[in-house]
Amino acid sequence: MRVTQNMISNNMLNHLSNSYSKMNKYMDQLTTGKKVNKPSDDPVTVMKGMNYRSEVSRIEQYQRNTGEVHNWMDNTDAALDQATQALQKLRELAVQASNDTYSEEERQSIAKEAEQIKQDLIDIANTKVNGKYIFNGTNTGEAPIKEGESVNFNTNFVKIEVAAGTELEANVNPENVFGDDESNMFKDIKSFIETLNGDNQETDLNQYIEDFDQRIDNVINARADLGARMNRLDLIEDRLGDQEIVATKMMSDNEDVDYAKAITELITQESIHRAALAAGSRIIQPSLVDFLR
Amino acid sequence: MSSFHGLEMAKQALFAQQSALYTTGHNIANANTKGYSRQRVQFETDTPFPVGSRNRPEIPGQLGTGVRAGSVERVRDQFLDTQFRGENSKAGYWEAKAAALSRMENVMNETSDNGLAKSMDLFWNSLQDLATNPTNSGARSVVVQRGIALADTFNYLSNSLTKIQGDLQSEINHTVDVANSLMNQINEINKQVKQIEPHGYLANDLYDERDRLIDELSGIVDIKVSYTSSGNGALKTADGLATIELVQGDNKITLVDGEELNYHELKVNYNDTTEINVIGKKEEVPIDTSSFTGSLNALVHAYDEVYPEMISDLDAMAKAFKKEFNKVHGQGYDLNGDQGKNFFEGSLEDGNFKVNDEIIKNPDLIAVSSSEGSDDGDNALDLADVFDEPIEIGDDGEKTSVKEFYESIIGDLGVSAQEANRMTENTYILRSQVDNQRQSVSSVSLDEEMTNMIKFQHAYNAAARSMTAMDELLDKIINGMGIVGR
Repeated sequence: MRVTQNMISNNMLNHLSNSYSKMNKYMDQLTTGKKVNKPSDDPVTVMKGMNYRSEVSRIEQYQRNTGEVHNWMDNTDAALDQATQALQKLRELAVQASNDTYSEEERQSIAKEAEQIKQDLIDIANTKVNGKYIFNGTNTGEAPIKEGESVNFNTNFVKIEVAAGTELEANVNPENVFGDDESNMFKDIKSFIETLNGDNQETDLNQYIEDFDQRIDNVINARADLGARMNRLDLIEDRLGDQEIVATKMMSDNEDVDYAKAITELITQESIHRAALAAGSRIIQPSLVDFLR
Repeated sequence: MSSFHGLEMAKQALFAQQSALYTTGHNIANANTKGYSRQRVQFETDTPFPVGSRNRPEIPGQLGTGVRAGSVERVRDQFLDTQFRGENSKAGYWEAKAAALSRMENVMNETSDNGLAKSMDLFWNSLQDLATNPTNSGARSVVVQRGIALADTFNYLSNSLTKIQGDLQSEINHTVDVANSLMNQINEINKQVKQIEPHGYLANDLYDERDRLIDELSGIVDIKVSYTSSGNGALKTADGLATIELVQGDNKITLVDGEELNYHELKVNYNDTTEINVIGKKEEVPIDTSSFTGSLNALVHAYDEVYPEMISDLDAMAKAFKKEFNKVHGQGYDLNGDQGKNFFEGSLEDGNFKVNDEIIKNPDLIAVSSSEGSDDGDNALDLADVFDEPIEIGDDGEKTSVKEFYESIIGDLGVSAQEANRMTENTYILRSQVDNQRQSVSSVSLDEEMTNMIKFQHAYNAAARSMTAMDELLDKIINGMGIVGR
C-alpha cells in the first residue's frame, strides 16, 4: 500500500487523540473516584448505583429514626423508674401510717409528704421531652393531667418506622402505668391523703398498701414491656448497622473505581502515549528534501 | 527526414518535461489542500515517422518523433469514493445521535448527587423525619423545602430538555441550509465542468472540489452519485456531470440533476411529526427519515422521538406522583385538624408544577396525622411510601413505583446512548479505514514528488543537452561543410 506523509500525520493525530481520550477517561475515574460518570458508560452499573445510593440513604434515615425511638424509650424508662420509686415511698408511708401508734398529727405530716409525692407523680405523667408529652399517646402536644386528679390519656401508640415496613412503638400505654380516669394512682393517693387527714374514717389504711402494690406492679409490667421493646430496638440497630455496611460496600463495589487498577491503566496508557509521541515525532520529521542537495 | 527533426523533438521533450515539472509543483503546493488528488501528466510518444503511405520515404524502420504531454489526470478511485460516502452517512447519523443523547445525559446528571433520584431521596428522608417528629415546625419546613426542590428539579429537567429540543430544531434548519448550499455549489461546479469538458480538457481541480462537496453532503443524507458525459468532444477519461440521488429503500429522489443542470432543495415542515421534503418540479416529495444514515435523520429522530419521549415520561411520572401523593395527603390531617389539601399543584406540561402556596406559607397544613386532632405521623410514612408503591404511570395500565420507573428511564437512556457511542466509534473506524485507502491512492507524497521532480529535471536537462547536440550537428553542416582545402 502506498503511504504518504499526510496519511501518517493524520493517523498519528487520530491515535494521539484516542490516546488522550483514554487518558481523560482514567483521569475522570481517578478524580471522581467513580468508574462511571454517564449512564452510557455502563447503563446497568448506573441503574444499580441509583438503587444502592437510595438504599444507603434510606438505611441512614432509619438509623436516625432509631435514635428518635431511643430518645423516647430512654426517657420513658427513666420516668417509669422515678414513678416506681415514688410509689415505693408511698407504700412505705402507707405501712408507717397503718401503725396504730401514730398520732393524728404525725398522720397529717405523712399526708403532706404523700401530697408532694402525688405532685411528683403528676409531673412524671406530664413529662415533656423535646416539647412532647411522652405519656399522652399520639396527642403529644397536650398535657394529660391538667388539674386535680382527672386524667385524659391518649392511648394510641407512637409508631416510628425503623426498617422498611417495620414500625416500633416508642411509648408506653399511659393507662397501663397510671390508670384511667375512673381509677388511677392519683385518685388512690388523694383518697389515701383524705384517710390520713381523718376525712375518710371507714377505709382501712391496709387497703392502700395493697392498692399501691398493685400500682407498683402495673408500672413494673409496663417497664418490662418497654424493656423487651428496647431489646428489639437494639437488635434492629445492629441489623441496620450491618445493612449499612453491606449496602455501602455494594454501592462502592458497583461504582467506585479500583484505584490500583485505574492508576496502573493510566501509567500503561501514559507510556503508550509517550511511545506514540516519540515514534510520531521521528516519523513525521524527515522527508526526502532533507537529504537532497 | 528534415534536418531540424532533432531540434523539434528536443523542444517537444523540453515542453513535456516542463509541464510535468509544473504539475509536480502544483502537487507540492496542494499537498495539504483538503480533497486534493495528486495529478499526473500522461506522457505519450508522438506519431512515429514515416506513417504508412504511398509517398513515404524509403528509410529503414519507423523513427520515433519524441514525446508529447497527452493529458493531465488526477489519480483517484471512484469506487473508494462510493464506499467512503456510505460510511460517512452512517458516521454522520451516529455522531449526531450520540451528541444529542450525550446532551440529554448531561441534563439528567444521574450519576451525581444532584439528579432527580437524589431529590426524591431527600424528600423521602424529610418525610421520615417528619413522621418521627410530627409537630416539629422545623421538620415541617424541611419537608416543604425538599418538596419545592423536588418540584424544581422536575421543572428544571423538563425545561432543559425542551430547550435542547428547540436547539435541535434550529440545528435541523441549519443542516438543511447547509445541504441546500452544498447542492447549489455542486450544481454550479457541474455547470463549469460542462463548459470545460467538451474542449477535451479534464477539469481535475473542479472534480476534486465537487467530490469534497459530495463527501460533505453524504454526511448529512444518504446519497447515490452517478455521472453523465458532458457531450461530444469530452474525453473518455472525463468524469462528466454528477447526478445526486437521495437513497431510500428502492426509491431514489433526485437532488442534483446533472443532465438538467439544476437541483431540488430540501425543506422542513414541522407538523405532528417533522417532515423533510424535496421540492420537486411539481410537488414536494416527502423523504423517509427512518433509516440510520445521515446526520439529518439523527437530528429528526432526536427532535421527534428521543426528546419528546423523555419529556412525556417525566410528565407522566410527575403527574402520577402528584396524583398519588395528593391522594395520600388528603387522607391525613394537618395540625389544625383539617384534612390535607393538595400538596403539589400544576403540571409539568404547563411548566407550573409546584408545591401548594398555602402549604409553603403555613407548613402546619402538611397533613401527616392519621386522625383529626392527633399528633401522630402515620400519614407521613404513607406519604414516604408513595415513592415505592406501584402506581399507574402513563396510560399503558402497568403499575410501577416512581423510583423504578425513573430508574428504567435512565437505564433506557444509558443503553441507547451507549449504543450511539459505540456505533459512532465503529463507523469512525470504518470510515477512516476507507479514507486511508483513498488517501493511499490520491494523496500527495512529498518524497514521491521530489523524486519525480528530480526525474523530470534530469529529463529536461538531457533534452536540452540533446538540443545542444543538434545545434552542434547543424553548426557542422552550416559552417563546417563545403570548405574543404581552405
